[in-house]
Amino acid sequence: MKKLLLISLLLLTGCQAVPVVEKFPDVPKELLVSCPDLSKVESNTAKLSDVLEVVSTNYSKYYECKVKIDNWIEWYNSQQKIFNSIK
Amino acid sequence: MWLLHFVPDNLLHYVINAFLFSGIGLYILGLLSNFIRFMTPYKEMIRIISTLLIIVSIYFYGRYTTDQEWRAKVEAAQAQVAAAEAKAQQVNTQVETKIVTQTQVIHDKQIVIQHEIQAVEKQIDSECKLDPVVVKIVNDAAQNPNEVKK
Repeated sequence: MKKLLLISLLLLTGCQAVPVVEKFPDVPKELLVSCPDLSKVESNTAKLSDVLEVVSTNYSKYYECKVKIDNWIEWYNSQQKIFNSIK
Repeated sequence: MWLLHFVPDNLLHYVINAFLFSGIGLYILGLLSNFIRFMTPYKEMIRIISTLLIIVSIYFYGRYTTDQEWRAKVEAAQAQVAAAEAKAQQVNTQVETKIVTQTQVIHDKQIVIQHEIQAVEKQIDSECKLDPVVVKIVNDAAQNPNEVKK
């Protein structure tokens, strides 16, 4: 009886996991850095050139942030297209 | 059944075919045993064994072919996943390159603007008197409203 049990155990098919796992794609590290805060003008300044410098720096920060967001969207859309292509 | 995975496919196929053809051969032998005198007493036994052999080998043949089909499907799926991962990596490289290039363009432009401001700094500052309220308004505008709420 014991042998019979052992044999029946050996014959069990069991539940085998399908060995197909898709790895979640890594995000480029540049996209994982949050956008910086905008720069501020020193409160004791009386020069318009200082204000201009800060404003132009802030414009640059905005465009750097825009680059990140636009590329996040592109990355997401591309990865989604790749993911959906797997049947 | 999972133990059969350790047996090489070719060997398994060979064994199943051997069982099947042995069963068919034995069955035919069983039919012929009516005409062969010394085999007549074993006729029933031969028929039972051959029938069992045929049934078992057909069952295993079915399992074997189904298993092969599933393995082929899994291999195809694995190949698709590998191709998708390679494409995903390619997209990452493209996006990374784009970010670096575009950010560099913004930096370069920023440097040019800073130089322009420095070039006309004296002119701007001499002709314009800045009211302190301007600084306050600019700084208020630069302040993240969501941080103020906190």
